[in-house]
Parts: sequence; C-alpha cells; structure tokens
Amino acid sequence: MKDASCISCDVAVIGAGMAGMAAALFAAQRGLRCVQIGNGGSLLFASGLLDLLGVYPVAERRLWRSPYEALALLAREQAEHPMARLAVASIRSAFESFVTALASAGLRYAPLGEFNRKVLTSIGTVKTTFGVPRSMIAGAAALEARPPCLLVDFRGLREFSARQIVATLGERWPGLRHQRIEFPGAESAPELYAAHLARALESRLMRERTINLVKPLLGDARAVGFPAVLGLARAGEVHAAFEEALGMPVFEIPTMPTSVPGLRLLGALETAVSKLGVRRRHQASVRALVFSAGAGPATLELDGAQGGERVVARAVVLATGRFTGRGLTAYRGQVRESILGLPVHQPDSRETWHQRDFLDPSGHAINRAGLEIDSAWRPLDAAGRPAWPRLFAAGSILAHQDWMRAKCGSGLAIATAWGAVEQVARQLRRVGAG
Amino acid sequence: MKYALFLGCKIPSRLPAYELSARAVLGRLGVTLVDLEFDCCGYPARNVSRDAFVLSAARNLALAERAGLDVLAPCTCCFGTLRHAIRFLHEDAELRLRVKQALAAERLTWSGNTAVEHLLPLLAREIGADTLAAAVCAPRTGLRVAAQYGCHALRPSNVARMDNPMAPTIFETLIRATGATPVDWPRRLDCCGDPLHEANGPLAASMTRGKISDALESGAQAICTVCPHCHLRFDAVPAGAADPAIPVLLYTQLLGLALGLSAKSLGL
Amino acid sequence: MSQALFQTALYASLALCALGLVWRASAWFLVRIGPDVREITFSERVAAVYRGTIAALFSRDLLGLAGAFFLDVLLLRRLFAHEKLRWFGHLLVLVGFTLLLSMHALAPLVTANLFQGYQPTLAPYLLLRDLCGAMVLAGVAMIYFGRRRPQPGLAQPRRPLGMVFIALLGFVLLTGFLLEGHKIASPRAFQRMTERYVGYSDAQELEPLRALWASEFAVAFDHLKAPIDPGLVAQGRKLHSDACASCHARPESAFVSFPVARMLAPVTGLLDAARADVWLLYLHVFACFLGLASLPFTRLFHAVAVPLSLLVNAAATNRGYSSAGRAVQRALALDACVRCGICDARCSVAPLARNLGNAGLLPSHKLIASAALANGRLLRPGRESDALRAADGAFLCTDCGRCTSSCPAGLDLEDLWQAARGDLVAAGLPAPAHWVQERPALDWAESLGSGCGLHAFSDADAACAPLSADRNSFSRCVQCQTCTNVCPVVAHSIEKADGVDLTPQKVMNLLRLGLRDLALGSRMVWDCATCYQCQEICPERVRVTDIMCELRALAVQRLGAVRGTRGRS
Repeated sequence: MKDASCISCDVAVIGAGMAGMAAALFAAQRGLRCVQIGNGGSLLFASGLLDLLGVYPVAERRLWRSPYEALALLAREQAEHPMARLAVASIRSAFESFVTALASAGLRYAPLGEFNRKVLTSIGTVKTTFGVPRSMIAGAAALEARPPCLLVDFRGLREFSARQIVATLGERWPGLRHQRIEFPGAESAPELYAAHLARALESRLMRERTINLVKPLLGDARAVGFPAVLGLARAGEVHAAFEEALGMPVFEIPTMPTSVPGLRLLGALETAVSKLGVRRRHQASVRALVFSAGAGPATLELDGAQGGERVVARAVVLATGRFTGRGLTAYRGQVRESILGLPVHQPDSRETWHQRDFLDPSGHAINRAGLEIDSAWRPLDAAGRPAWPRLFAAGSILAHQDWMRAKCGSGLAIATAWGAVEQVARQLRRVGAG
Repeated sequence: MKYALFLGCKIPSRLPAYELSARAVLGRLGVTLVDLEFDCCGYPARNVSRDAFVLSAARNLALAERAGLDVLAPCTCCFGTLRHAIRFLHEDAELRLRVKQALAAERLTWSGNTAVEHLLPLLAREIGADTLAAAVCAPRTGLRVAAQYGCHALRPSNVARMDNPMAPTIFETLIRATGATPVDWPRRLDCCGDPLHEANGPLAASMTRGKISDALESGAQAICTVCPHCHLRFDAVPAGAADPAIPVLLYTQLLGLALGLSAKSLGL
Repeated sequence: MSQALFQTALYASLALCALGLVWRASAWFLVRIGPDVREITFSERVAAVYRGTIAALFSRDLLGLAGAFFLDVLLLRRLFAHEKLRWFGHLLVLVGFTLLLSMHALAPLVTANLFQGYQPTLAPYLLLRDLCGAMVLAGVAMIYFGRRRPQPGLAQPRRPLGMVFIALLGFVLLTGFLLEGHKIASPRAFQRMTERYVGYSDAQELEPLRALWASEFAVAFDHLKAPIDPGLVAQGRKLHSDACASCHARPESAFVSFPVARMLAPVTGLLDAARADVWLLYLHVFACFLGLASLPFTRLFHAVAVPLSLLVNAAATNRGYSSAGRAVQRALALDACVRCGICDARCSVAPLARNLGNAGLLPSHKLIASAALANGRLLRPGRESDALRAADGAFLCTDCGRCTSSCPAGLDLEDLWQAARGDLVAAGLPAPAHWVQERPALDWAESLGSGCGLHAFSDADAACAPLSADRNSFSRCVQCQTCTNVCPVVAHSIEKADGVDLTPQKVMNLLRLGLRDLALGSRMVWDCATCYQCQEICPERVRVTDIMCELRALAVQRLGAVRGTRGRS
C-alpha cells in the first residue's frame, strides 16, 4: 500500500481569496508546479467588479477617473504602500493576464481601458470600479447617458429591489422605471435565491419564458437592467441571448453578497487554475509550516481528512488575508500572523487600533496593519531580515494599505500577487542555478 | 497493480455490465483485481447510526488490510462512504476504539493503511491518460460525451481527494483519451437525483430531468458515468418518453470500445 | 400386525396429510404479499396456475422444465453451488429415503413385482436396505452438522418444527434397525419360522439347524454359545439348504442390523418374552404414519414446496410472471423457506444488523416478518416493537440480490422484499424519510417534550452526532446563504409552494440558536441529497452536509423513541 499523502511542488500558495487565486494563476502561467491551499469561499463576497484604485488619499475621499494617475501619485507619496512597489506597466500586465484568464474560463470582462467606471449597486448607489464584467457594462453606459431604462426584478428575490433603485435615482434619471415579474414556474415559491434563478436561466426554455414576460413591459426603454441572475457557468451566453431577444442593451446589477457574480468569479478562477494544473486543496488549512536551511524546501503539514497530508514546496506564498481571512489573529494586546507568528506592523497599543469616530474618513490604524516585506515581497522577521529566503507574501495581509477605503481590493490582490510571483520565479531560478 | 475490487451492492444486482466492462478494461491494462468477501459499504446506515455505518465500512477495510491490498471501488457512492468512514475514524478517537473492539471480535484489525481508490484517478494517474491514449486502437472520434462525475467522486474534496471539486478536469481528460469529445455542460457537477429517489420521488425526478435537458442542450450525444447510481438514474428514463432521455455509457464501456474490446465483453 | 388397524392408520394418516396439503396449498392462493397483488382474487390465481401449468406442459418450455426438475430438484444444483456438505447430506437423504419408501415400505407393490423371488432376507436386499437407512442417517447428520450458525449476537429465526421432523425420521430409522436386528437374533422368530417351513416338532431334530443359525445367522439361542460343535453345524447345513436357504442369506451384509443383533444378543430372551418384534413393528410403522400425517406441518414440507417453487420458477423464466402468478409465487416462497441461513450469512447488511442489534435486517427474519404481516399477526397489539424493527430492517436492505442468488430454493427474495416494503408502507410503517415527514417539525419538537425545541445533548447524542453536539462546528456560520444558493434541492423546490420548509442556512441557524430539535423533523434535513455542494463551498468551512446526515440519524433515534404507534393504520 502506498503513501499518497505527500506531494511536492515548486510553489505552495496558502490562501484562496483574490490574491491567493491570482498568485496560483500567475505561478502556473509561468510554468511553476503549484499547490494551492484554502477554500475559495471569501471570493463569494466579491461583486465581480474589479477595483484597481478608486480613492486616494483615503482621508480626503478623493475619487479618481484614472486609476493609473492615482497609482502614480500613490507611488510618489506612500512608498511603503504595497502597490507603490510595482511599476504601473506591471500592474497593467497583471490585470490583463487576470481578465484574459477569466475570459478563457468563460467569464468575460469589458475591455479594461484607462479609466475607472461608475456602475449601479443593488441599493441604487453608484460605485467606482475598474474591471466590469461584460454583463454589467451596459449599465455603466446607461448610468452615464441616462436613457429611458427599465429595471426588472423578481417577486421573492428579497436581496434585490428595482423599486428601491428607482426611488434612489429617479430624480436624477427621469426615464428610469421598474417592473416586478414572477419568475416562470416559481409563482408559488415564497422566497427565491439568485443562484437558482441563474441556473434556471441557462435552460433555453426558461430563458424564453422570462424574455416573453419582459417584452411587453419594455415600452420606450432603450436599456434593461436585471439583478445579476443571468446565468452562472453560461453567463455570457445567457446575457447575449437576452440582448438579442430584447433588441437592446441588457445589463446586470450586482446583488448583495454572497452573489451570483461572486459564484461566477469563483467558478472561473477555479476553472482557470485547474486548467493550468494547479493542485487545489480546498478543505484544508496549514497546521504547520517548517523551513529547511539553505536551498532545501519548506514542508507544509495540512490538516483535513484522513490523517492529514504533507506538501513539500520550494517556495511559499502567504496570501492568507487579514482578519476575516484569518491570516492575522488578534490577541489581547497584539496582532500576530496566524501560521508562523511573524511580526506584524500594527499600532503600538490596542487603544490606538481605532479612531474615536468609527466613520472617520482617514480610517483606522488597525486597517493598515499587516506584514512588513522586503523589496522581494518577503515578510520580515523580528530582526528585519526575510523570515525565509523563499517565503513571499501577497494581498491584504501586507501592511500599509487600507484597501476597503481606497477601493483597491482587487488591485491590491492582483498586483501584489503578480509582484510576489515574479520574485518567486526569480528566486527559484537562482536556487535552481545554484 | 493489484486491488481488492469493491463492487458494493448495486453493481452486481443492477448493473453487471459495469463489473464486466471494468474487469475487461482493467485486465487489458494489466491491473489485477482480487475478490474478497466484502459486505455493504455502510451507506444506508448513515441516516440511522454513525457507528453502524463506520463499522460496516471499517470491516471491509480490515478485510482488505488482511489481504494486504488497497481497495478499488468502481461505485462512486461506495468510494465516498468508505473514505468518509476513514475520515471519521481518523478524527474521532472514541469511535475508533469502539470500531476496533467490534472488529477484534472477528479477529480483524484496522490500522488505517488501506487506501480506497476510484477508477478515475487509477486510470488517469496510476495508469496515465497518455498510456490509455496510446493503447486506443478504435478511437471514438466525433462522439460528444457529457462527463457525469457523481457527487462523491469530488466532494467533500478533502475526503474524495480526486480533483478540483469546483473545476475538475480528470474525467474530461480520460474521455479525450478515447478519442471522444467531452462537452461542457453547466450542471455537470450536480447531483443526479438518485439519493432522493425513495425519500422524494418527484424532487429526484426533477433533478434528473434538469441534468438530462442540460446535457442535451449542451450538445451531448451521451452521458458518461462512473457510478452505478448515476448510471441507472439516467438509464431509467426510456427514450421516446415525455421526459427527455439520453443514452448512457459507462466510462469503462467507452474506454473498452476504444481499446478494441468487443461490445459483448463490455456488457453492451 | 392387525390388517384392519394398519389400514385404518394408513388411511387416516393419508387423509390427514392430504387435508394438510390442501390447507397449506390454499395459502398459496389466498395469502397476499405486496400492494400490487392486493386486488387479485383466489380464482384469478387458480386460473393463472392452471394456465401456466398447461402452457408449460404443452410447449417447448417443457424441456426447460424437465431440465430444472433433473438439475434443480433431483440434483439440488443450487444447494451444491453454496454448501457442499449439506448438498451431499440432502442427496443421501433424498436417495436413501426414496429407495426405502419405494423398495422397502412399498415392497409388496414395487419390489416384489420388479424382482422375481424377492425376499427381504436375501442378498442383496439385506445390504441395500441397511445401506439406504445408513445413507439417510448419515445425510441427516451432515445436514445437521453442516447447518449455519446463527449470526453472532442476533436472535435466531424461528424455524418451522425442524426438530420434530428430525426426531421422527430418526425414530423410524432407529426402530427399523432395532426391529431387524432383533428379528435376526430372535430364537422366537426362528421357532416360528421352523414351525412353519420345516415342520419338525422335535426340538432335538432341529438342533443341528439351530447350531448352524447360531454360528452363521447370529440367532441368540441361550444354550448354544460359542464354541459350537462344527460337526453339528455341518449336519444342520443339509436341512438349511432344503428349508431355509431359498429365503435366507447370511445376515452379515446387513451391516447395521447385524451388529445391532450381536449387541442385542444378551437381552434377546427378554425382548422375545416381551414380544419386542410386535411392538417394534408397531412403533416403526406408526412413526412412519405419523411422519406422513405431519408432513404438511413440519419442516419436511419444504420437500414439497421447494421443488414446486423451483419448477414454477423454471416455468416462468421465459414468460415472466403475471400478477396472479407472482402472488402465488410469493406465497409459495414463504413455505419453501426453511431458514437454512445461507442468505443470512451472505447478506450484505449483516454487519449493520449485528451493530444495530436488529436481526430484522436479515433475509430469514424479513421473510418471517413478511408472513406475519401478510396474515396480520405483526400488526396485532403488543407487537408494535416487532413491527417497527421489521420496518427498520426492511428499509435498510440495499437490494444487493445476494440472498436471491444464494437461495438454494431459488426464491426471488428481492421481489418479496419489495412487495413487503409496499405492505409496510401500506400498514403505516414506511422508511424514516417518510414517517418523520408525516408530522411537521414543530410537532415532533413538542413530542420530544422540549417545548420550543431546546434539548440538552446527552453523551449518547454526542457519540452519534458529534458535529451537531459541538458548537464549534456550526457557530462560525455567518448566514451568508451560499449553502442555500448552491443547494440543488432548494433550487428544484422553487416550483412548489411547499418545497422545502427550511434552507440549509436556516438549519444551521437553528443549531446556532440551540433549537436543534426543531431541525430534526424538517423536510430540508430529510430531502438533503447529500451532494456536498454546500459543505464544499462554505466560506466558513462548516460541515453542513455531514451535519445534515447526523441530524437524520439523531432524528431516527430520538423521534423513533417517541414515535410510538402513531400513524399506523
């Protein structure tokens, strides 16, 4: 009987949020044998919109039309910000690679271009973002031109109300109307869930029935908005079918997380890394991480079923996120990195974690806590040296950024993953050569 | 390669073609199959008693251990159940003790050394999809096939450990090896409905119909299965019925045909 | 033996046997097993059997039928496949008994007509009779010692008067051998024979013959003990060849009775005085009559039912059964089963039966329960727990078919189980998924006496449902709805207003709120397809599906305990 519980690889990516998925994707694209640990659940909270950098400086809440101009300013003023460590060209490449991979996995984005875009949210507010899925892009155009427009929602889908969006935006967008329809075949269901509708609409029959319900309601509308339920794995096809049948631009508005766009993003990323041969360990977490001295590998002990598993990796990327991703753990007086106990840049005392005012525009110090890294994206130990020569970090676990307020979540994840993986490849070449 | 063949209950009684074709194909590929006096994997007892389910599974594992063999379970549900039992035995020391005592009464031991394997990884990794492709002499070119993984082949992934549970590729790779074309169908990872067929017939039927329609709409000419439960589920819909129907083919039959084995030797 | 008494007894036992057979056979046309045959009447069944018989006898199927008769009935092919020792035992009994019956018991009708000059005391009949008797004895011993041990820790199925039949058979053989042995050794018999065939009245003149019979025919004369004068013996030989030899061979070849005669020698005088030859004959004959009369009521009845069942199977193989034919076949199966236990030993769920302590999972017990259900006994007051256990067992069967394929009587047990499950459902004893959902979840929670559903977890609960008992396993749930969004059961329920009552995420919430008992009877828990989509994707890694499975097991135990007889019709 064989011992199948030990696998070896070039790089082990710990974490499966946006940064972890991006790191695994970029590593595999570079031909590195990759093992990725962690379930992609946190991606379900994503809206499918890919922010790059929307707000800078955070304290001034200044919105930018061009994320690249904002990045340039950020690089000049906040050199320690993780995104300041990358050339703008690298960030462009990272985003292009990322959306190209998503497209090949069936999730298409509108061409990225140079500028941020404004899109509608499910509560009628406007969100500034950068990468917009094809199924939502017509909404950005409609929001700009404000033509007569119909918003459709479904009775029973509690997380999305077209009426509320119209109530919020109606004064500024006079041609905006809303209609509520019954989802075909679900007339008696008390409650509906977005993903079930999305799956149902992948069947041609259900699509036709729904379209037939919408057609008589169009009136003078020149664009139609739906909650983001137009297909799951076949979203592109479903969206195209709606546009063709209704004869006008159709757009989706992301619903509250966890949403169908989140499921699509997760599905597309998993498909992308799976096609590139990344070995995924979804329901596992790292129990212990041990490094050997010199050029030797790292050993990861995974928990999970059947007595655990061991991964031997030449390099490790830590993309475990901050508190919600459990990359960082807050103890009584101190924050520590969860797996290795690495030192964390943080406020001096717990009293200074948060501002007195929770809604203080400049944010809270604890939201800029994280790992300090060297120029090669390697987390530092207490002595300020790389904790291990081939341990790298990416994503929100890095210090000196407040991605939520800066509207740079995806940007931070994708860009730092790109940077870290670039260094992984360089370091592995060096070890291989030496 | 040598395995103890765990056929379970469904294959011998309802789908002997699976046994026939699996033996034919694996025999051709040089895999030795040993028959042991296995009993039920324990699945039906999962809804009744955890101890009874784990014990029944562990007894089978102990029989394989006594023979010094790993287990090959062509039935995906048996595969999942046996591996679930291993998980529960690993994580619950008291349960482990109770099971060990019960096994000792039959002079059996379980020490956790028996691996439980499924046909898909055996073919794709141990033997290798490339080796299969090289052995194919009658490629099924032009046949568009929808791969039906079966839930327990993939999930939970830390129990099944077969492939990425959200985006598996192993079955499609194996279909490609036969010369056939795997189709991409949105509901490929969904449940076939069989587990509910006694508890809630209409619901189960609705799930099956949904999958068949999806496969047809995605351009599949047949659904390819590696589990007797899934297979019989799809096969139960007669062609020409009001419900959509689609031919069902076991992967071992598809591969056997591609390897040039006779239809009769594959139970076709 | 008095001819009148003999005939009266014979005809009485024949009549009893015939009545018994009619009574047993009537059950095949009356007993209803399975909802599909409930409407089938007695006359429809009779007609079906009649049509089937005619069709089988006057078609090409006759060949198949003959083959089945030869291979299955006479050579016991199916038993041979599974139990060699018992097969050999059965074969010995079958051959020995048939020969004894026809050649010995019915000798005046059969043997005497077949063989010129037949005398039971001549060679080779002495040898053959004992050989047949010994075959039957050895066969019975093989069957007995080759029997299956009951499953460890489980009750043995009740067997239909098995020991009565074996005791009767043994008694017939024992009295037979004793009778023959005694007659060999008996001076009184010698005397009776010489009076009849030699005609000498003078005792002295017969002395040489006595000497010969004492030394070579084992007659136990008190005064003629070894060593016997060889001269005297030689003198007797002349008389012997004149008067006796035509009917009497030397008895050594009766290899059982001859040693018995030797053993009885010391007490032969006493036995003669007590007229043992008379009462041993009575015992022997009347035991045979008793066996005949009791045939329909003891286990020996399988000698009638099994061949019939095998032949009906063979006749129906090509045509399949009509519903009426199936009804007969199911009822016949109840009689053909002798609880040999081969199926129990091969049963796939026997390990489950042992661990659950419920023999009701095993085929032989299921068959008994089917019969008890068919005649209504299982539903009588006082047998509620038996009925519930039978239902628990019936619905855990995996239909693996190993019982059917191993049944030496060739019974279609899978069909029987399916029919019996239908009967159980009709009797208000369905599978857990159904009986749990007969009442709303809230109703169950109230039955548990836990009011709003709060119920402390006992150690036993924690052992059978450790995840549901441990807050850490579900308290991470953030109610994000992902589990519900990926649930195919909820997705397919949107077409129905009464689809599922809860969603997976709501079940998790009940656990978080300590309202576990409210979840136990919920439709979501019981309609879960265990596809593991929710567990795989849960961002907080809550083992949703594993918990669903646990809740079902917990429900079966907890709700089963308060279920009582409610819902039974």
